[in-house]
Amino acid sequence: MTLQECYIALGGDYDDVLGRLRSERLVQKFVLKFLDDGSFGLLLRSLEENNTAEAFRAAHTIKGMCQNLAFTKLGNSSSALTEALRGGDMEKGNALLPQVKEDYDCTVSAITQFKAGII
Amino acid sequence: MQKEKILIVDDSEMNRSILADMLNDEYETMEAENGAEAIAILQKQSSVFSLVLLDIVMPEKDGFEVLKVMNKSRWIEDIPVIMVSAETAPSQIERAYELGATDFIIRPFDSSIVHRRVNNTILLYAKQKKLVSIVADQVYEKEQNSSLMVDILSHIVEFRNGESGLHIQHVKTITDFFLHRLSKKTNRYALTDNEISLIIMASALHDIGKIAIDEKILNKPGRLTDEEFAVMKKHSVIGAQMLEDLPVHKNNPLVKTAYEICRWHHERYDGKGYPDGLKGDDIPISAQIVALADVYDALTSERVYKKAIPHDKAVEMILSGQCGCFNPVLLECLSENKDILRKALAEQSNLGTPTRREIRNYADAVLHSKSGGVSERTLRLLDYERMKNNFYAAMSEEIQFEYSSATDMLKISPWGANKLGLPENIMTPEQNTNLQILLGDGWKDILHKRLGESSVECPEFSFEHKFMCRGEMRWYNVIIRAIWTDSIPPKLSGLIGKAVDIHDTQTKFMELQEKAIRDPLTGLLNRAGAREQIERRILNYPEHKYALACFDVDLFKNANDVYGHLFGDKVLLHIAQKMTRSVRTSDICARIGGDEFLIFLEYDTDINPIVGRIFKQLCGNVDSFALTVSMGVCEMSRAGETYKEIFHKADQALYFSKNSGRAQFHIYDDSMKDILVNTDET
Repeated sequence: MTLQECYIALGGDYDDVLGRLRSERLVQKFVLKFLDDGSFGLLLRSLEENNTAEAFRAAHTIKGMCQNLAFTKLGNSSSALTEALRGGDMEKGNALLPQVKEDYDCTVSAITQFKAGII
Repeated sequence: MQKEKILIVDDSEMNRSILADMLNDEYETMEAENGAEAIAILQKQSSVFSLVLLDIVMPEKDGFEVLKVMNKSRWIEDIPVIMVSAETAPSQIERAYELGATDFIIRPFDSSIVHRRVNNTILLYAKQKKLVSIVADQVYEKEQNSSLMVDILSHIVEFRNGESGLHIQHVKTITDFFLHRLSKKTNRYALTDNEISLIIMASALHDIGKIAIDEKILNKPGRLTDEEFAVMKKHSVIGAQMLEDLPVHKNNPLVKTAYEICRWHHERYDGKGYPDGLKGDDIPISAQIVALADVYDALTSERVYKKAIPHDKAVEMILSGQCGCFNPVLLECLSENKDILRKALAEQSNLGTPTRREIRNYADAVLHSKSGGVSERTLRLLDYERMKNNFYAAMSEEIQFEYSSATDMLKISPWGANKLGLPENIMTPEQNTNLQILLGDGWKDILHKRLGESSVECPEFSFEHKFMCRGEMRWYNVIIRAIWTDSIPPKLSGLIGKAVDIHDTQTKFMELQEKAIRDPLTGLLNRAGAREQIERRILNYPEHKYALACFDVDLFKNANDVYGHLFGDKVLLHIAQKMTRSVRTSDICARIGGDEFLIFLEYDTDINPIVGRIFKQLCGNVDSFALTVSMGVCEMSRAGETYKEIFHKADQALYFSKNSGRAQFHIYDDSMKDILVNTDET
């Protein structure tokens, strides 16, 4: 799987990110880094514990990373979740969570496949 | 060349990493993963960073908090901040700008945009810093001028009489007025701002030559004779000479300007003045203006030889040439703006701060720099002084403090504040609960009383006070100097002082004092101690009912002879113990002689049963010695009775008990009044 194919699989915009970061090497480096980020785990835990502020920050971080990496699909769903949590609406947050989870899993699985290919 | 350093603050490791990768070619980067960490890093080394890239949403402290701290500590003035955030809400962006952010980079990050923005911002700030330092140097030069000025003036003012102080200020104000009017009217003299402020400053020196003139002539209440006037006229040349002879500052522009003014401020435009008879614009414009200012103020002020002339009349006299001939342009300035001049002078005397205009000029010069008109050098010097003071204060191990009533704030030296566990600055200290707990009761009363007693002549006082220091009550010697204003009548405007820990010496002293009034064997009070305490008790509570009991051990000599002195001591200790146990703690027990004891007690109704009980307690066996005592008691029935009197009566009752066969007690009544006792109590 090429990096470009990985982007198609996770629903991202490869041209956009390459345009901004200027090098495939950098894009690859940060895409792989995404796997190490603990924000999603933190998001799940915070929602379980009803910690709105922490959940908001975690969602916000995910959204930010997606923006930088041009992960459009996950970016959209995490952005919606971020806005719900910013307003403190836990109910709406929990309602939006399945979509974020689906997109996140899809993203992680695409990157994992890509990673397996290059090692 | 060394790379500029950038601090990247973002909670997402990936975001930091992206930014760092984008910038690492050109800059050195350092990362912080939340606001608190960023603040800690800046606190340690704020000066090394050329830029901060700051995220908004972060744990610990968010980006706004960081901006607030950067404002408070004024780092924001030197370190530009670019916000890097996914936040796009206008209110958030607005808030960041309001808090001093320079720029905004919105995600997703674009490598070339990040580069450009960072570059531009750093360059802009570098330029600004350079400008600030140029301005600071100029201000410094001004400060140096004025300090030189103060040097010269203060030297001279000593020689001058009171009225001249105001004269100098007036001349400065009027000179200022003419200079600004003149440069509006014509550019014939092309005066720069710098030259203008030099002339204003130098104008204050116009009469310095007068210190060489005999005071009799200076203050003569009446017309000067021709000879006297000839002497008086010399002051302009003398003043100029003094400046020319200055060993160090001779070439200073201020001194040069002052020279012109001193020498030629009595010249007239038509050449009829002195000392050189210069004509027209051969007279430097500085001297022309000061001459006019001098004349105007001389007219409108009261002098020993004349009354003050009103403004309008004075202007008229000048314009009509009654005071000599002046530059027509200057006269135009005067006639066109005479009301403004009058106002300026009135304003000045109202404010009582004649240099306000100068202060404003200074402020303008420093542009909008927030340092408030003080150059960096001055700040550094102040910092140095502060450091020095703190060092000495810490070395002295004294708690130093100052209070100003204007701000109602107490400042404690850093060492002292640390010692006391208090902040260095305390607002409204009289209402501060922590301070109250620490100092305990009574300090306000003492302080106000002693402050009230202090005066301009004796502003210092000291007292001893016990207060809490880190959980321990300790004695301090508090030395205070009240600060009185120069006004009439003087007002108390604050105080400075220090508190010195004297706990160890004080404790020692009190121990010694305590020892002096105690009997070493039994620990009871001795005779002198008892007397002092009894007299104090009577004085403080004269309405209470008291009785005094005296007793001695029957046949104590026998006990000593038969069983030895050690046993004798044992008996005395036994008695002391019984005594203290059978009275209230507020009662006074004492051993007033070898085997003689005293009890001073308070009672309500009947003394008989009380004394009976005590008497019974005292008698009994000590080992095989059958201990009995003889006791005499006196009720203090009448107010105004002295210790000496009741002691004497109790002693008489004691003798009565002894004479009646010992081992008994009697309460004094008038039948005993003739018993002779050889008391040496005085």
